[in-house]
Amino acid sequence: MSESTARVKALAAHEYRAAVRSKILLVLLGILVTITVVSVYVAAVDHRSKVADYAAYRAAAQASGLARIAPSTLAPLSLLRGALEYLEIIGAVVAITLGYLTVSRERANRTLTLIRSRPVTAGELASGSLLGAVGLFTTLVAATTIVGVVCVGLIGNDWINAAQGFKLLLAAIAAIIYLGAFYCVGAIATANTRVAANGLMIALGIWLLVVLILPQLGDTLDADNQIPGGLFKALTLDRAGETEILKHFSTYETTRISIEEASFAKHYERFAFAMTEVQDKYRGFSLGRLLGAKRNDIGWMIFYSFALVFGLRWSFRRQPTIPQETT
Amino acid sequence: MTATIARQQIVSLLRQRTFVVLLATLIVMTALAGVLGWSSHHTIVGVYDEAVKLLASRGDPAPPNPFLLKPTLALLSNMVVYIPFIGALLALVLGHLSLVDDETVGRLIFSRRISRTEYMIGKIVGAAIVLVAILLASLAVSTISLAIVNRTMPTGADLGRLAAFYALSWLYLMVFVLIGMVTVLVTRRRSLALLSAMGAWLVITFAFPQITSGLRPTQSLNPIVDPASTSQAFFRFTAKARPYSIVEQYKAASASILRTAGTESTTSILRQVAPLLGLSIVLAVVGIGLVDRHDYSSGSNDE
Repeated sequence: MSESTARVKALAAHEYRAAVRSKILLVLLGILVTITVVSVYVAAVDHRSKVADYAAYRAAAQASGLARIAPSTLAPLSLLRGALEYLEIIGAVVAITLGYLTVSRERANRTLTLIRSRPVTAGELASGSLLGAVGLFTTLVAATTIVGVVCVGLIGNDWINAAQGFKLLLAAIAAIIYLGAFYCVGAIATANTRVAANGLMIALGIWLLVVLILPQLGDTLDADNQIPGGLFKALTLDRAGETEILKHFSTYETTRISIEEASFAKHYERFAFAMTEVQDKYRGFSLGRLLGAKRNDIGWMIFYSFALVFGLRWSFRRQPTIPQETT
Repeated sequence: MTATIARQQIVSLLRQRTFVVLLATLIVMTALAGVLGWSSHHTIVGVYDEAVKLLASRGDPAPPNPFLLKPTLALLSNMVVYIPFIGALLALVLGHLSLVDDETVGRLIFSRRISRTEYMIGKIVGAAIVLVAILLASLAVSTISLAIVNRTMPTGADLGRLAAFYALSWLYLMVFVLIGMVTVLVTRRRSLALLSAMGAWLVITFAFPQITSGLRPTQSLNPIVDPASTSQAFFRFTAKARPYSIVEQYKAASASILRTAGTESTTSILRQVAPLLGLSIVLAVVGIGLVDRHDYSSGSNDE
C-alpha cells in the first residue's frame, strides 16, 4: 500500500469513528431509521392484503379452469418509496450535519491547521474525509434497505427476486452518492465561513432550495395539478387530448421541467423511483432500457457529484496551515 | 424592564440585519405563492380555451370553466406549505439568535436589576413583535396578489379570513421561535442548539405525520392533508395522537379558514388550534424555568 493510500485510509477511519461518537448525528440517524421503518411497515401491511387478494383470485381462476390468468401488477419494491423519500429529505440533513461536523470539530480542537501542516495534501484530506462519510452512508443505506426488504418479505408476504434486488442495489448506490454530495455541501459551506454556525445555515439554505422548494415548484406548476382531481379530468379530456393541448404550452412546460432539472434531489428521486418501480410507466422495463431512459438523471448526478468533490478539495486547500519553523 | 428587554431585542435584530433577512425571505415567499397562483390562473384559463376549441372540433360540448371551481383564496394555498417549511425554519433561527448572543454577555445583563423571568418574557415579546411585523408585510403582499390575480379587491369576509390565517400562522411560528430559544438553553454549543432545533422541526414536520397519518414526506409538501385510513390496526392506535400533530392541525385549520378544502365549524377550527396554543404556553413556561437555572458564567462555544 502506498503512503498516500495509507494516509487516506487513516483519515477515513478517523472520520467514521468521529461521526459515530457524535451524539447529535446519532439522534438524527435514529429519527431517520425509525420513521423509515414505520413507513415501510405501514406500506407492507397494506400490501399483504393485496397479495392475499391476488392469491385468492389466482386460486379461483385456476379452479374454474381459466386458461389465461392476469399477472400480478403488484410491485413490492415500490413499498420502499417512503424510505427513499426519507433518505432524500432527512438523509440530506444528516449528510450536511456530518459535513459541517467534519470541519467544525477539527477547527474547535485546533487540529485542522495541524493536519494541514503535516505531509497530507488537500486532495488526501478531502478523499479521506469523504471516504469516511461514504462509509457511514453505506452503513446507513444498507441497514435501511435490508430492514425494508425484510419488512416487505415478512410483513408484506412478497420477497423480491434477484433482478429486483439488483435494481434496488443501483437505487442504494444512487442514495449513497446523493448523501455524499450533501456531505460535500455541508463541509464546503462550513470550510468557507469564519463562524461554523453560519456555514451550517448556508448549507441548510441550499438544502431547503434544492430538496424542498425547487421540486415543489415544478410539481405545483404542472398543468394537471391546478385543480383537485386533475385539470384534464375536469375538462373531460383523455390522454390524447391532454397531449394535444400541452403542445400549445411548450414554453411553459420547458420552464417547469427546467426548474425541476436544477434540483439534484429531483434527479436522485427520478432515478431511485424508476429502479424501485414506484412509477408505473417503468414497470416491466429491462435494466438496459431503464438505464437508457434515466441517462439524463444519471448524467446530472455524476456532474453534480464531481463538481462538489472538486469544491471540497478546493475548500480544504484554502484552509490555513501552521508555518513550519526550523530551529 | 420587560419592555426594555423586548425593545433591545428588536433593535438588536434590526442592527444585525436579521430582521431585514427574515422580512425579505417571507416577502419573497409570499410573492412566490402569488406568482404561482397567477400562473395557475393563467394556465387554467389557457388550457380551458384550448380544450373548448378541441372539444368543439370533435363535436363535444364544452365543460364548465374549472377556474370557477377554485375558491377565491386558493391563490394562497401554497402559503399553507411554505409557512411550516420555510417560515418555521426562519422562526427557529429567530428564536435561536434571540438568546444565543447573550450566552457570552449574560453575566453583564444579570448584573443589572432585572429578574431572569422578566428577561425571558422580554425576549419572547420582542421575537413575537418581530414576527407580527413580518407577517403583516406578508399579509399586505397577499392582499395585493389577490387583487391582481382575481382582478378585484378582496371582500371584507375574505380579508377577515386572511387575517385569521395570518393570526394562526403567527401562533404556529411562535412555537418554533420558542423551540429555537429552549434549545439554546439546554445545550452548551450554539451549533448543537441549532441542530437540535432542526431535529425538533424534522420530527414535527415529517416524523409525527408519518406515524399518526401515514403521510410520506412528499405528501407533506401538499397543502391538503389526506390522512391514511384507520382500517389498519397501526393507524387505529396512532391516529389517537393525530390531534397533537401540530403541522397537520395547522394545515387543516388553514384550509378551513381559507376555504380551500371544504368548510368546518368555528368550534372544530378552535379544537385544531388548541394544541398549538397549549404547546406555545408549555414551551414559554419551560423556557422561563430553564433560563432561571441557566449558567451564564461559562459562555458558549462558538463551534
